[in-house]
Amino acid sequence: MSVYKNKIRNNVGLTRRRLLQNSVWMSAAVATGVGSWVLPAKWASAAGPIKVGIATDLTGPIGFAGNANANIAKLVVDDINANGGVLGRPLEIHIEDTASNESVAVGNVRKLVQRERVDVVLGGITSSMRNAIKDVIVGRGRTLYIYPQLYEGRECTPYIFCTGPTPAQQCDELIPWLIQNGGKRFALPSANYVWPHVLNEYARKVVEANGGEVVLEEYYPLDQVEYSATVNKIMNEKIDVVFNTVIPPGVGPFIKQLYEAGFQQRGGRLSCVYYDENTVNLNAAHEWEGLASCLDYFRVLAREDKDPFSAKLAAAYDERFAGDVLFTAGSAATGMYRGLKLWEAAVNEAGNVDRDDVAGALDHAKITQGPGGPAEMVPGKRHCRMNMYIAVAKGGVYEVLSESNMVDPKEC
Amino acid sequence: METFLTIGFDILSFGSIIVLIVLGLGVIASMMKIFNFAHGEFLLLGGYTAYLFHIWNMPVWLGIVAAPFVVALVGLVLERTIIHRFYAAPIVAMLGTYAIGVIIRESVRGLIGGLYHQVPEPLVGFLLIGDVSISKWRAVVILVTIVVVAGTYYLLQKTSFGLRVRAALENPELARASGISTSQIYAVTFSFGAGLAGLAGAMMVPLFTLYADMGVRFLIQGFLAVMLGGIGSFEGPVLGGAIIGVLTAGLPHLFNPVLADVLVFVIAIIIVKMRPAGLLSMKRN
Repeated sequence: MSVYKNKIRNNVGLTRRRLLQNSVWMSAAVATGVGSWVLPAKWASAAGPIKVGIATDLTGPIGFAGNANANIAKLVVDDINANGGVLGRPLEIHIEDTASNESVAVGNVRKLVQRERVDVVLGGITSSMRNAIKDVIVGRGRTLYIYPQLYEGRECTPYIFCTGPTPAQQCDELIPWLIQNGGKRFALPSANYVWPHVLNEYARKVVEANGGEVVLEEYYPLDQVEYSATVNKIMNEKIDVVFNTVIPPGVGPFIKQLYEAGFQQRGGRLSCVYYDENTVNLNAAHEWEGLASCLDYFRVLAREDKDPFSAKLAAAYDERFAGDVLFTAGSAATGMYRGLKLWEAAVNEAGNVDRDDVAGALDHAKITQGPGGPAEMVPGKRHCRMNMYIAVAKGGVYEVLSESNMVDPKEC
Repeated sequence: METFLTIGFDILSFGSIIVLIVLGLGVIASMMKIFNFAHGEFLLLGGYTAYLFHIWNMPVWLGIVAAPFVVALVGLVLERTIIHRFYAAPIVAMLGTYAIGVIIRESVRGLIGGLYHQVPEPLVGFLLIGDVSISKWRAVVILVTIVVVAGTYYLLQKTSFGLRVRAALENPELARASGISTSQIYAVTFSFGAGLAGLAGAMMVPLFTLYADMGVRFLIQGFLAVMLGGIGSFEGPVLGGAIIGVLTAGLPHLFNPVLADVLVFVIAIIIVKMRPAGLLSMKRN
């Protein structure tokens, strides 16, 4: 009852000035995104915490991937803190929402770098996001930047380290396999933005070098959901392999229309290099049966008899973030794990958090364990060697067919 | 020959989808002079209803049948509480319905975890007739569109309810003076338009997957169709929808897809420029 009375009293006290103040706060929160958190460590040191900035898409169309990134970052940082931190100092994690929107992102990342003065920034998922925020971080911000997503390559800016797979890592093994297990006539249906354009340039070279030919290469508006014209061309041109870079929301309807046109039934092979366990629920199992992908990690590896470390990591993630987005490769989450652990190794070697010293150590940093296996930076290249796996969909789950150890990124 | 039949079926099925989407938008715009910017989110709510039935392990077809009623109810509540305040100011109505749309979209985004979900079609697979592959569900969509368009036409043009709706639109004062409750008519019409959107959303979600932004693209195409066909008649928006659907599905056969996407708008804008009141405006005058 008294609580109720208090509420009434408070309401009476809502003056015009208070209302205006609240509105200003509210609009500021809406304008800048509400996802802005500091997660301090449970213990302190005299030298203060080391600040780790995570800038990722917690909201907006690719919010699912961003949340997986933030989740794994919290898990890794808590684990590091539980084991004594880095250089005897705890890690303090600052998360900013890039909101799948570059203009919102730039402001929020500036907050991380200029106001919070974080020691390193990890994040960004799409290439357009990386391009929007990188200068804020490494240029004017003079901070180290680690980009975790699989991408089109060619990011050779100093102080930017990439921990996701590159076109060479995703195509060099997969495309010869597709030619052997599909055929020589390729179609490259793609969303019209930077990643598919540059990846296709590389894929085309590998297809041609292995005796195949690209019969169809087409780009679509990002929000297109009707693909009957494309499917018709694929069927008429007797395409053997569809190497897809159409992204959600288009990819679900596209694969369904391919199936309904009888492409898979006729023996056609479908391939999609970002299609991971967070995206597979876009299609029914029979629609993506036989789809081949090449990634640095598949959840099917996380079994005690296959990869005990990945099994432990996946179990810890699933326990803490049950029912949430999954820990997968295509959503940049494996790159986020790798990035944090490689950076930890580099700071330990450098003995301080000075940007040049850490960048120098990160240039040749290694981790012996990670999702899907170990990883190491290729000196001078700021990209990672890592294990890559080819997997094929069977009955709605991936089955890993082959493993390539420590594949070179061939970048920079 | 098979190729032409396949292309013909594809264009017909997408045309039907757009007509189904435009119908509710057209009814509200024509009968009430309200541009409902939350129409895309009514589609989303229809799709979300079908999805809920799927995850509750109930038949998806039941969800598709329930969707128009659920969304009509949402439409009715919104009309009675918010929309009816906007009738005097169409610009405010646009902004108001846009705001409602954003609230619905972001709420659904939260509910589905920002993910993309497939909803299985009640009729899975395809029929092979000779070399022509016909998606069963797309065939159902074509049939449902024909039935719904015919039913709506009958309701608005041939029944006494339709007469009262048209009377309330053309001369509200006289309608009120004749004992017609215009506010009740508006509420029912808005709710009916929302229900049609719910049906369209539920019918198309098995084809296009469920995601929070699914209504946005279709809203723009829908408005283009309404502008093209002309506001004020029932046939106008339907014809506009058919043209936009055929152009959207047909042009990528002839042009590069990105160019085709732009061409749909260019062609529609040229037609609107030549016939500012819409294609069927002459008929009404």
